[in-house]
Amino acid sequence: MTDYNTSLFRRLTWEGTVPLEVRVDPKELPANSNRGLECYYVQAPRISYLPLIVPEIRRFLMDVVFDEIAAKSLKDEEWWFESEEGTLLKWHWPIGVIYDNHTISNTLRSPSPPSSSTATPMRLILHLAAPPNDKLFLSPTIEACKQAFMNQLKEADFIRWGNTRRMTSLRKADQDGLWEGIREHSFDDFWRVASKLMPSVGSSMRPSSPPVPGSSLARPVSTDNVNADRDSAYSIRSVPVRIYLPDGPVLQEVAPPLLEDGTPQTLSHFFSTNLPLLFPPQPPPPPPSRHNPNPQAPSIPALAHTLIQGVIAPPEAELAWLGACMAGADGWLNICIAINRV
Amino acid sequence: MSQVSDQTTPRQGANTLPTSERQEVSEEVLKALETYKKKDSPKVVVRFKGVGNAPIMKQNVYKIIATNRFQAVIHFLRKELGWQKGEPLFLYINSTFSPAPDDTVLNLYKSFSTEGYLIVNYSTTPAWG
Repeated sequence: MTDYNTSLFRRLTWEGTVPLEVRVDPKELPANSNRGLECYYVQAPRISYLPLIVPEIRRFLMDVVFDEIAAKSLKDEEWWFESEEGTLLKWHWPIGVIYDNHTISNTLRSPSPPSSSTATPMRLILHLAAPPNDKLFLSPTIEACKQAFMNQLKEADFIRWGNTRRMTSLRKADQDGLWEGIREHSFDDFWRVASKLMPSVGSSMRPSSPPVPGSSLARPVSTDNVNADRDSAYSIRSVPVRIYLPDGPVLQEVAPPLLEDGTPQTLSHFFSTNLPLLFPPQPPPPPPSRHNPNPQAPSIPALAHTLIQGVIAPPEAELAWLGACMAGADGWLNICIAINRV
Repeated sequence: MSQVSDQTTPRQGANTLPTSERQEVSEEVLKALETYKKKDSPKVVVRFKGVGNAPIMKQNVYKIIATNRFQAVIHFLRKELGWQKGEPLFLYINSTFSPAPDDTVLNLYKSFSTEGYLIVNYSTTPAWG
């Protein structure tokens, strides 16, 4: 049974959407198209993929914009998307990641910080021909997207548990059900299967005290807890994490949920270890003196902050919890690094 | 030991920023981002293992530049095997999953290497689907 908080955040993640403005490249509009209407607006689920929204865009363009005869020569499989700035948009990236990655790259460019409101759609240019397939990495079919998705799930499974037994022991119908859950945007269908893969975070599962080194008896384990412990987000090998830097690259680091002393690893610890130039480690407080019994260390300001599912994440958030509650449908915790403006 | 060169240049980041706008972001940040972009480019050792009917390679251990995308590994292996365009070839890591072609060899190595090797299985039919 999944506890209330976990379900809540999983649902919030699932229901997250981003505004997109899709505009056909004006140079590629077929003859006799209805210009002035060549823009389509959609509020797309963060956990969905571009190939899944193409049919809806196509329907609109065929009905409203394209001339019927000219439309006949168009082939879906030659369509591809670019951002306004000319970045190729990948078929196999979750739409939310495409959006956040665009937002953080803009923190390098736009003079004003991005507004926290979701009012500004991301502008996509739709090209109707000559896809640069070698750079898109994937054919634009829904089947190819599904295969890529299933492999991402497996890769995440391997990172978490050291094997892919949870994925491979799912029946075919259940595996297909995961993808269908995304296509149909059905939270319940998806999570009925996904809860067999994802780690759990009940309040009782969080390690209450750090284990004493060298003593396996330090933490009494009742038999009731054995299963819960095994599935706990705090007992996996590593959280599947991808880090997106503005204008690239994408980094993947090993991210154990607990530190060596048994305390949960926080975002702030993870980033001051892995990206210390942007998240400088905080110095320890000076020793207390008679004049100042509780001295505070001078805090070093971070140069960047993190966006997870479009939300600014607090530095004290624990990786284990984030991985269990804020990961995408493919099981990956995608963390985008946005630049702080002074 | 041979090397693979990366033939895929991501278009991302191709837009260089105008100088006037660059000044909006502190030098410190830009320097940090540059560092992480170039972040150590060592080579990692990849071991190829044929599965099922796949042809066996005489030499199956290669050093590959870590910042290469996995797609470069796919291209390299196809060339080594003399595979024609359209001939099916499936690649897996640790006999479990196919990585995204845009993931880097370094990322895969960090998470999945065994005893200093990144093990890449190849097959002419889907093996772990």
